[in-house]
Amino acid sequence: MHHSIPRPHAGPRRRRRLLTAIVVTAVASATLSGCAPSGDAGVTTLDFFQFKGEATADFQRIVADFEAENPDIDVQLNTVPDPDTALRTLLVKGKTPDVLTVNGSGNYGQLARAGVFHDFTGDPLVEQQNPAVLDILDALGSFEGDEINALGMANNADGIVYNKQIFEEQGLEVPTTWDELIAVCDALEDAGIPAFYGTLADAWTAIPAWNALGGQLQPDDFYDDLRAEGGDVGPDSAVSFSADYTEAMEKLQTLYSYAQDGYRSRGYEDGNAAFANGESAMYLQGIWTINPILAANPDIELGVFPYPAGEDPDDVRLTSGVDVAVTIGRDTPHLAEAQRFVEYLLSPEVVDGFVESQVMFSTLADAGPNPNPVLAELVPYFDDGRIIGFIDHQIPASIPLQPIVQQYLLDGNMDAALANLDNEWRKVALRSTRTEE
Amino acid sequence: MTTTAPPSRVRPLPDADTPPGGSGGGTSRRRVIGRTPRAFYWMVVPALVLFAALHTVPALIGIFYSFTNYAGYGTWDIIGIGNYVALFQDDRVLRAYGFTFGVAIVATILVNVFSLLLALFLNAKIKFQSAFRGIFFIPYVLSILVVGYVFQYIFANSLPQIFSGIPLFRDNILANPDWAWLAIVTLTVWQGVAFSTILYIAGLQTIPQELYEASSIDGASTVRQFWAITFPLIGAFFTINMVLSMKNYLQVFDQIIPLTNGGPGTSTESITLLIFRGGFQGGEYAYQTTNAVVYLVVIILVSLVQFRILQRREVDF
Repeated sequence: MHHSIPRPHAGPRRRRRLLTAIVVTAVASATLSGCAPSGDAGVTTLDFFQFKGEATADFQRIVADFEAENPDIDVQLNTVPDPDTALRTLLVKGKTPDVLTVNGSGNYGQLARAGVFHDFTGDPLVEQQNPAVLDILDALGSFEGDEINALGMANNADGIVYNKQIFEEQGLEVPTTWDELIAVCDALEDAGIPAFYGTLADAWTAIPAWNALGGQLQPDDFYDDLRAEGGDVGPDSAVSFSADYTEAMEKLQTLYSYAQDGYRSRGYEDGNAAFANGESAMYLQGIWTINPILAANPDIELGVFPYPAGEDPDDVRLTSGVDVAVTIGRDTPHLAEAQRFVEYLLSPEVVDGFVESQVMFSTLADAGPNPNPVLAELVPYFDDGRIIGFIDHQIPASIPLQPIVQQYLLDGNMDAALANLDNEWRKVALRSTRTEE
Repeated sequence: MTTTAPPSRVRPLPDADTPPGGSGGGTSRRRVIGRTPRAFYWMVVPALVLFAALHTVPALIGIFYSFTNYAGYGTWDIIGIGNYVALFQDDRVLRAYGFTFGVAIVATILVNVFSLLLALFLNAKIKFQSAFRGIFFIPYVLSILVVGYVFQYIFANSLPQIFSGIPLFRDNILANPDWAWLAIVTLTVWQGVAFSTILYIAGLQTIPQELYEASSIDGASTVRQFWAITFPLIGAFFTINMVLSMKNYLQVFDQIIPLTNGGPGTSTESITLLIFRGGFQGGEYAYQTTNAVVYLVVIILVSLVQFRILQRREVDF
């Protein structure tokens, strides 16, 4: 009895165990063969970290073309939401990707200073870059201050987007000085058209205009001097926001006085839709809004001009940032393959196709003409190198810049806002000098 | 005894393998009678291990990092109490404390008032009692982030049209630095009432009906009954609700992200939001970890003080 009872149970159980084993083996082998480099001895797998979600389709195409030409390299394209956090997580785990695209922001500068990226000094690719682009990247930060840690692939531009139909109906010209801009605003106000569509409910939407005005109106080397002051920044220091940013802040408030009613409570999405529907003549943003606006109204005729901050048309500078930069992980074991891939990414055909699709500007010195008519007015600024970087990339991310500027535009208290910026700068400088000792 | 005999005859077989246990029946009786059965201790072990691994160890690591200059990646050095010195001189941190405590106190009071009223209503003899209980519990089940975006739409788009005569609502309360906190409290209370109500209903059901019958024979009014019987007898539930609410609302975060994201300006920046922004987005990981450590101590102190004060006025029967 004792021996006969277990048998009927053991039968199905053993069969089930066998089945499980088969399934597990099948799943495991499938997973493994999916992950591992496909067994061919000569194939190198490159881990390619790509930050820009909007450009995923473009990069899929580029990677496929590259792999077709280079059968010995397998590029694993990774695009993640919240790339800044994802990249930091990879770095903490010591898994620096082989090839990366990064946004040319203050965040990039921090990582470059920490020595995370390859040094491109002496690479022939450097010669092909627009020197102004290299300057922008260099200003963000580099390892020990003298390396070239990334190369530009696409540049954006921070300019006033305007509705060509409204300008034509009102007989308005594109302004090239601050006074002309105000004259345009007054003319629009008289015609009952809001000059700008303000979207202050989203704090960051005030920053494009702040960057452009501040970047043109601040003294030369302002941020270098400010960093030198460090923990002494305040009302009595040689340079400070309180002393040197009053004109930019006043002009910013003036621009918002021409915004539509209720600009305090509208958000970025509202703004794109409203501007696309012709509810204002201009929009204080940059070229990144062009695609969303065209999505809302494909028939709108758009133009973009740089923020004219001063009195002389020749002084106008276009604020531009490196939207997509390409770099290599410093200690990658596949440096030669990574360099071949980067060389392909930065070849003129690839860059031209990419910036056309993304509505951006090429970072190459001899870039092909950008066929997009919306951007036509900005091209000369790139060709002449009349571009400056985003000043907010010089400000540590731990300073609440966006909320402070937003609050100033809401309550109009400029002295408090500038004193607040000075104070935050001072505190962060004290914390970081303390930590460097 | 006859019923226990067959199992004890089966058990000795596996037991015989365990070395010092002695003969089966005697051991198991000693295990049960002498002290708490050993099995109960073993049942606690998985929870203990998980708690230590996922909570205590990270907390200790966090405390350690608060004495360093770690940015979240790269190299770091131990810098002593520098972060703590900087923290107590940081006016942005103090402002965040002011905002957080204001919201937490107002929300705690409102949540407990509303949930107690709701619990009395849901505990009364009403039609569709369990249906109502279910409906009023729904806010607690919903994701606060999702609800937050719905509220954001209501505050930014619906209320300005409905109350176009009242400036506060017409101009989008979320864009008003002085009153945006009210919107955050509204969402917090709307969501928080559900859970407190459940606890109060449980408390109300522990009160014996005879007390009400006796007091109504003595001619006590409903209001008198509430203050003399109901409220004292749910004292323990009142305490736990106050402490839990306060502790939860001191960590207000999810509500702020969809509604104001800390704005306008920094007027709705809570401590937890500041820790997240500065630590994860601002690259000051160690500094904001210090903030978190100090805040942990503050929350523990607040909870202990609440317990001491509130437990003193609880009654036991």
